Amino acid sequence: MKMKDKKRIAAVLMSLFIALVANGWSAPMTEGSSTSTPVASSQAKASSKLGDLSAFRTIAKDVDALVEKGNLPEAKKRIKDLETSWDEAEAGLKPRDAKSWHILDKAIDRALSALRAKTPDQGECKSAIAALLKAFDVQ
Amino acid sequence: MSSNTLNKVPEITLSFWVIKILTTTVGETGADYLAVNAGLGQVVTRTGMALFLAVALFLQIRARRYTPCLYWLSVVLVSVVGTQITDLLTDDMNISLYLSTLVFAVVLGIIFIVWSRSEHTLSMQNIDSRNRELFYWAAILCTFALGTAAGDLATEALGLGFAWGSIVFGSLIGVTYLTWKLGANAVLTFWIAYILSRPLGASLGDTLTQSRNYGGLGFGAMWTSAIFLAVILLLVTQAQIKNGYLNVGRGGKLKN
Repeated sequence: MKMKDKKRIAAVLMSLFIALVANGWSAPMTEGSSTSTPVASSQAKASSKLGDLSAFRTIAKDVDALVEKGNLPEAKKRIKDLETSWDEAEAGLKPRDAKSWHILDKAIDRALSALRAKTPDQGECKSAIAALLKAFDVQ
Repeated sequence: MSSNTLNKVPEITLSFWVIKILTTTVGETGADYLAVNAGLGQVVTRTGMALFLAVALFLQIRARRYTPCLYWLSVVLVSVVGTQITDLLTDDMNISLYLSTLVFAVVLGIIFIVWSRSEHTLSMQNIDSRNRELFYWAAILCTFALGTAAGDLATEALGLGFAWGSIVFGSLIGVTYLTWKLGANAVLTFWIAYILSRPLGASLGDTLTQSRNYGGLGFGAMWTSAIFLAVILLLVTQAQIKNGYLNVGRGGKLKN
């Protein structure tokens, strides 16, 4: 490889590394300030070691309402948002408290498979969502 | 040394390591995207990726000489499948990460022992026979599975997030590089760095994709994959040209 190429790659890597380190140092500070501000949402017990989980809980609450109405197809659509956002946040949340994360992850999985069953059973959907909401409150 | 075929793998240069680390991230976010966002589900994604890998490796092994795009396509797919093997064991079969890390380390050890007994070398530079090539790819698949399991274990057991993960795994690779510079065995240090680059790639990828709430840069999976893919394409194209596969820059001026 030519010297010029080497220098170019090294420069890109260095700037990436500096951005990462700078970010690593600033991260704990922003995290601290966000947990210390009281969350406006009424049922925001969902802030233990995992931090603020209210965004996820809100979706679960929506799903719960839809299941309650017996609208299982819409509930199935809505819970996809929970699956996607939960999956996207995994790398951020899990290191904070792996044990609690796994409990919630299992509860979400149960609710997902209840709603995605070939012929979803409303009773099972109800109890899976109830268990999920409870898990959010405990964790 | 007598050889049946030409060497089939790239030189170990800085660009080799950059592509290797970037492929790790693209492999992981790509597989995640197909399974969750594209809604293909785990079973379809896993089977599809395993089939793609089989085809890519078949072409790579049939090729007569080193072809950068084929080689790196195989690495991307090995990265995806290696990650999926670990995920399958952990998420679906509930096997502890301590156990899978240990098992993958032992399996990798066995591959190296058999490889060195049969070939009397573990060199990653002279992959010039069918046997060596098979050993090479088996070892690489295993390093990805091991790297995934060990990296996840660091997250689960030590609560090591991606910001610190980038620093810790990056520093460990730095130390490996220094020991090599100071005269440690090149083959050994290569494979150690190769394993470490898996969790490093994952941590770097997470740093870019994760939202600012979690201390990431908040680029999202799509943009991060696009940027990484662009850099990979650039470097692999450069390698293709260097290895004489494309005619760009050949006509008119002679550079060398």
